[in-house]
Amino acid sequence: MTATAIRPRSATARRVQLRGGAGAWLFALPALLVYVMFLVSPALQSLFFSLTDWDGLSPSYNLVGLENYVAMASDPVVATAVKNNLLWTIVTISFPVVIGLSLAVFLNSHVYGKSILRLVFYTPSVLPLVSIASIWGWLYNPQYGAINALLRAVGLGALAQPWLGQDATALAAAMVPAVWLRTGFPMLLYLAALQGIPKELYEAATVDGANRWRQFWNVTMPGLKQTHLIVLALALIDSFKVFDMIYAMTYGGPGTATQVFGTYMYFNVFQYYKAGYGMALAVAITLVAIVVSIPYVRSQVREEAR
Amino acid sequence: MTTASATVDSVVSVESIEPPMRRAKAKGNAWLTLGLAILALVWVAPLFLLVLTSIRPLSDFVAQGPLAWPKEFTSANFQAAWRTGNFATTYRNTALIALVKVPLGVFLASLLAYAIAKLRLPGRRAVMYLVFLGLTVPIYIAIVPNFVTLRMMGLTDNLWGLLGPYLAFGIPFEVLVLQSFFRSVPDEIIEAARIDGAGSVRIFFGIMLPLSVPALVTVAILDAVSTWNEFLMALIILNSNANKTIPVGLLNFQGEFANDNTGLAAGILIAVVPILLGYTILQRWIVGGLTAGATKG
Repeated sequence: MTATAIRPRSATARRVQLRGGAGAWLFALPALLVYVMFLVSPALQSLFFSLTDWDGLSPSYNLVGLENYVAMASDPVVATAVKNNLLWTIVTISFPVVIGLSLAVFLNSHVYGKSILRLVFYTPSVLPLVSIASIWGWLYNPQYGAINALLRAVGLGALAQPWLGQDATALAAAMVPAVWLRTGFPMLLYLAALQGIPKELYEAATVDGANRWRQFWNVTMPGLKQTHLIVLALALIDSFKVFDMIYAMTYGGPGTATQVFGTYMYFNVFQYYKAGYGMALAVAITLVAIVVSIPYVRSQVREEAR
Repeated sequence: MTTASATVDSVVSVESIEPPMRRAKAKGNAWLTLGLAILALVWVAPLFLLVLTSIRPLSDFVAQGPLAWPKEFTSANFQAAWRTGNFATTYRNTALIALVKVPLGVFLASLLAYAIAKLRLPGRRAVMYLVFLGLTVPIYIAIVPNFVTLRMMGLTDNLWGLLGPYLAFGIPFEVLVLQSFFRSVPDEIIEAARIDGAGSVRIFFGIMLPLSVPALVTVAILDAVSTWNEFLMALIILNSNANKTIPVGLLNFQGEFANDNTGLAAGILIAVVPILLGYTILQRWIVGGLTAGATKG
């Protein structure tokens, strides 16, 4: 549209683009139908069910307005879930981003075996979350787990404890593998972006007498501005989706200590038969996820829809 | 290996021009490499321990503890885990759904991406918002209504019940990456083909797809990884052992093998080896595609 104004095209080209119009929908429809049927429409149905007292089994239900949302305010497990989701978001964004950026900067300088190191740090990211939960559940095993064995071996046996089995440590213990698995992706993005920063900038900074530290803050960080936004947006989006890790590692426990919105929704729908309430939980966290990531979505559309 | 030797070459050649500064840097490199190597060892330690545990007898593991080097080695854990974990079935199911879902999903997404990127789809801003918002939505909001729909269609506890939801879940990411790649195909090529009388369909199959093979491969690989790993939808739809996929099967297996640490390790390895092998072989595509798709914006 605006492109024609910027870059004059031939009359044929303009006619070609007009002809694209309605026929273009034939290309778009198959994917859109599947997408609407299995993602958009279910999400809207969830929104509707969140306004009912549906139990998830019986064919009948009553509209109850915002009752489910009101009930959330006085549910102590929701308070736990809010706290856990918030902690999960902060920890599984800050640690992977900082470690990933540091690794990228180090790997971008002259290091031996760069490709092997990159392979090692990214490998956890491709594993199924359930298997990561299994691996770490096994490492955390109070009796036979490697972590307690290591503590005993170095004389810190007093610190050995049931990491996933007590309120005080369960959530933190579940976050460690999340950091382990989520560091590789920011590292890759930063690594790619670092290669786009012109070497001359560093040479000029060296001539001006800036040391490594100053160069990092005055050359590297400004050059990565765009990447920071993308990394943070994707990490934020990802952190709201937490379900698999908690489900497979702690099952929301001990008690309800590690419940997050995703797992608490699951329990309400499939264990407590309070589907309406469960849907309200899902809608609430989804709305938050959408609101915080709208700037990212808008930037993607703007970038591309020129 | 090649990158290492290339680095050495460049260091050496620069050193001859500017000796004092470079020598200091080369020293730093050794320390840096050492530090990173130690961190890498920590990073890979869980997987290394997993492999080590899977190839020792349970008695050896219990007697010596998880950290000691095994005195005996065995492959029996794998045989036991393969049988008990029902892996022959879960492997077949996961492979089947991935083999159908991935090509079909990438194809549908590329049609939509083509319409957005090159066909001036009317209302495409709205379509892009609708599709890209799907990236931000936690999947679990769609789980229950999908379950209800599939139950109505008689597709619960059926592997193929997963197909529709899996296609839908994959579309936002596939379209985001593909449309941004398609956009980089020069308009001049398309206009030339139009003048030669090619229609939109022929341009799509004859020009867009062949020129976009790298992006298509990357998207297909990433899609295969997430299909292979998907857990929640499969957990809810599939009940009987004969229909389970690997992640759901692995979770059951974990429960059954709670006290058999070596068998559990072998089972986890069986579940992740195809992904690890595939990743190691195809990592160039994954890395290139991820960074191209995400650094563009």
